[in-house]
Parts: sequence; structure tokens; C-alpha cells
Amino acid sequence: MPRSRPVAVVAAAVSVLLLAGCGIRIPADPQGTLDRVDGGVLRAGITPNGDFVRLDGDSPSGSEIDALIAFADSLDAEVDWTVGSEEALVRGLESGDLDVVAGGLTDETPWTDKAGMTRPYGEVTLADGSTAKVVMLVPLGENAFVSRLETFLTDEAATEGVGR
Amino acid sequence: MTVRFGRTELPERQVEVLRRAVRLEWVTLAFLAVTATLVFLVLGNSQAMKAAWVEDLLSFIPPIAFLIAVRMARRRPTVRHPYGFHRSVAVGHLVAAVALTGMGAFLIIDSGIGLVTGEHPTIGTVNLFGATIWLGWLMIAVMAVTGIPPVIVGRMKLGLARELHDKVLYADADMNKADWMTSVGTIVGVLGIGVGLWWMDAAAAIFIAGSIVHDGVSNLRAAVVDLMDARATTFDDARPHPLVGRVDQYLSGLPWVREAGSRVRDEGHVFHIEAFVVPRRGKVALADIETAREGCVSLDWKIQDVVVVPVPELPDVVDAITPRGSTA
Repeated sequence: MPRSRPVAVVAAAVSVLLLAGCGIRIPADPQGTLDRVDGGVLRAGITPNGDFVRLDGDSPSGSEIDALIAFADSLDAEVDWTVGSEEALVRGLESGDLDVVAGGLTDETPWTDKAGMTRPYGEVTLADGSTAKVVMLVPLGENAFVSRLETFLTDEAATEGVGR
Repeated sequence: MTVRFGRTELPERQVEVLRRAVRLEWVTLAFLAVTATLVFLVLGNSQAMKAAWVEDLLSFIPPIAFLIAVRMARRRPTVRHPYGFHRSVAVGHLVAAVALTGMGAFLIIDSGIGLVTGEHPTIGTVNLFGATIWLGWLMIAVMAVTGIPPVIVGRMKLGLARELHDKVLYADADMNKADWMTSVGTIVGVLGIGVGLWWMDAAAAIFIAGSIVHDGVSNLRAAVVDLMDARATTFDDARPHPLVGRVDQYLSGLPWVREAGSRVRDEGHVFHIEAFVVPRRGKVALADIETAREGCVSLDWKIQDVVVVPVPELPDVVDAITPRGSTA
């Protein structure tokens, strides 16, 4: 093994640590989602599903709608709702038109290579009696945003029982 | 207690070394089981972590190959296996090398695709004892903790591999020794994700996969060379094994020998030697040949299977040693 390789590795490690020391927040968003939402607009994609997301009234309602409004409030942000099919919403995440997708999605969702998944924050009982863990979808790799959302959802779920 | 490698009875020192090597390999396996479990638990979506995990899994192969091989090599030669079972070491070596090369290549392609298609790894938080922390910190902690011990164990094994002349043990020690680079590489990749440089994860994974392939190819070359009966070399394949020269020196020093040269193959641990001697006269006493054979055997524990063949002239594939000639 060439001698220069360990040296290069150590140099890389040190420079990353230095970068991290210069006030860069860890984790950070490559696309700056959290910074944009903070004090701005949370672009939420929703798809109707049981008590999680209901679209029968004038404005959307349901446990996940409440959760997202509360999350946006915690960031002084307004929520801009987009209603669509899961596929259309996931495409919105991929193209950067949406910040989060909710609709009673579970951790069994097949969209995981196109979208990031939050840590499960609640449980749902499915038609066949089995339980699944409820998640929301976020853009891939926006790690500051997903960490903030997960932290919020965990705290909310613990105090208000958001996931049903 | 007598411990053998086939027909070869190990000297006390080597018995002790073998015992320590076996114990170290069991320690390695136990440690790897803990490491692989820890890394799996915090795997997340990091490609670098995935590469490090695969490397952990692959690291199981050399110790297992070693433990099986030393067991097999103890069997005595039989009519069906007249050369004994020493080659089990080379077979284990080859298997480990192929696994390394294959998985390393797969990881390079897998990570390369991620890099080209711009897959941003998503790493969120975990809830640990009621506190929510970024999973990346846990990954870094696990890699920092599991990175150091293999280096120490690897260095210990390196010395044992020399004493035992065991190339599987050497390959294993060499891999362990370089393990800290995997840990540092992974930490760099995860920190990269942390500061928003998504591509550093895939880049770190490619670096780790590259080191896996490097290990694989160099071991593959060594294993194939041994199976091809290349000239016996030292345990690290750095140079021709000095015993070859000593055998030739000894034989050419006998009064009835004009010239000597031997063909030595490494069976794994022990050498099989065909020693060609050109006698000074046309007739050779059987007793002289037997004495010469026993003399060779007493040179080193690795030499046991020796055939001394009187020939009118040396075959051109051996280095000829004449009594007053070279001092090599």
C-alpha cells in the first residue's frame, strides 16, 4: 500500500473537522431546505388517507395536517398544500417543488430510493389487523430538514399522540 | 503434546506460536461479530457505512479459512493424498482473495452509480434513551471505537505469520492492519454528509472499496502464484525463501557432491523439495543419499518431504550452487 494514502486520509479528515469547526451546522442540507422553510413557506404534498389526511372540508384536516401546521408554526412558516397522487408528490420531492409528503405513509413505502423517509413517529393498524409504522417523505439528503422534522414529530407524537 | 503439520512435527516454539495464532483468530472472530452487529445497527443510508460493513463481513473469511486450514493441514499424508493436506492453506487463501476482489468491485460500481446519479444520502435522527441525536454522530462513534483494535491484533498476527510461514494468516494480518483507514474513510464520508457535501459519502465508499479490491488482487496474485508451484518465497512474498539457498549450500558442501540445485515448492507451512545433485563420480552410495536427505530435513522444521536425486547435470530451472562458488 502506498505510503501517501494514509496521509491523504488524515488530511481529508482534519480538513472536514476544521470545516465543521467553522460554525457549519451538522447535519446540513445540500439544497438548503431548512433555511428556506424557516420563516418562509413549507411546501407540503398531501394525499388523502383515513384520519391522517382528510380532504372533505374547505381546507385539509387530519392528524398529519395538524402536525405539519404545528411544525410550520415552530419555524414561523406558512404551509402551502399540494394535493396529488403519491407518485406525483414523490416526483415533486425529486424535482425540488415539495419539501415534505404526508398521507399515512408507512415505513414499508416503496418510494425509498426516490425520497428520504423520516424515522417512524406513530403506528397505524392496517385493514388486515397488522400494524405499520407511520412516516413522512422528504427530499433525499436534506439532513438538517429531516432531523428537525423528526425531532418535532417525535416530541409531538409523545405529547399529542399524532399517529393513530 | 505433539502438534503436526502433516508428517512434520512442529518444534515447541512453533507449537506455541500456532496456539497463539489460533487464539488470536478466535478473538478476531468474536470482535468482528460485535463490530459487524454495531455497524449494522447504525448503517442508515450511508454508502460508506455500507462499504465498511461489507468489509467487516468479508473480514470473517480469512480467520475462518485459517482455522479450517490449520486443522486440515494436520492430517497425515495418505495413499490418496500423498503430498498431505498442506494445500488447504492455499485453497483458503484463494477463496478469501476471490471474495475480496468480487465484493470490492461490486462496491466500486455500486458507489460509482450513486455518485454519477447524484444520490443524496439521507441520514436523519435516532431516539436514544429519550434524546434525539443525529444518526451520523453514532456512525462516527462506532467507527472510531471499532477502528483501533484490529490494527493492534493485526500487528500481533503479522509476527506469528512469519514464524508459522502462513500466508492466510499474513493476508488476514495485513487486512486488519489497514482497517483504521476504513474507519477514518467512513468517518470522513459521514462528516461530509453532515456538512452538506453529499458526494463525500460515495467518494469515501469508493476509497474503501478500492482498498478492498487492492487487498483482493494482491492476495489473489499470491494465492495463484503458490498454487502454480512458483519458487518458494517468504511469507510476505517479498523475496525467495532463504531456506532454498541453505539446502543448496548444504548439499553442495557434501564431499561427494560437485553441484547441487533444488526445486522447492511451498505447500503452505511446509516445503516439498526435489534436490538435484551432480555427484563427483559415476557411482553414489545409497547411504550417502539418505544422509544428505536427513541433513536437509534437520535444517528447518519446514523441510520434511525431501527427495535427493543424483543427476548427470542440473536441470536448467534451478540455481546451481557449487562448493567454492557463490555465497548466496
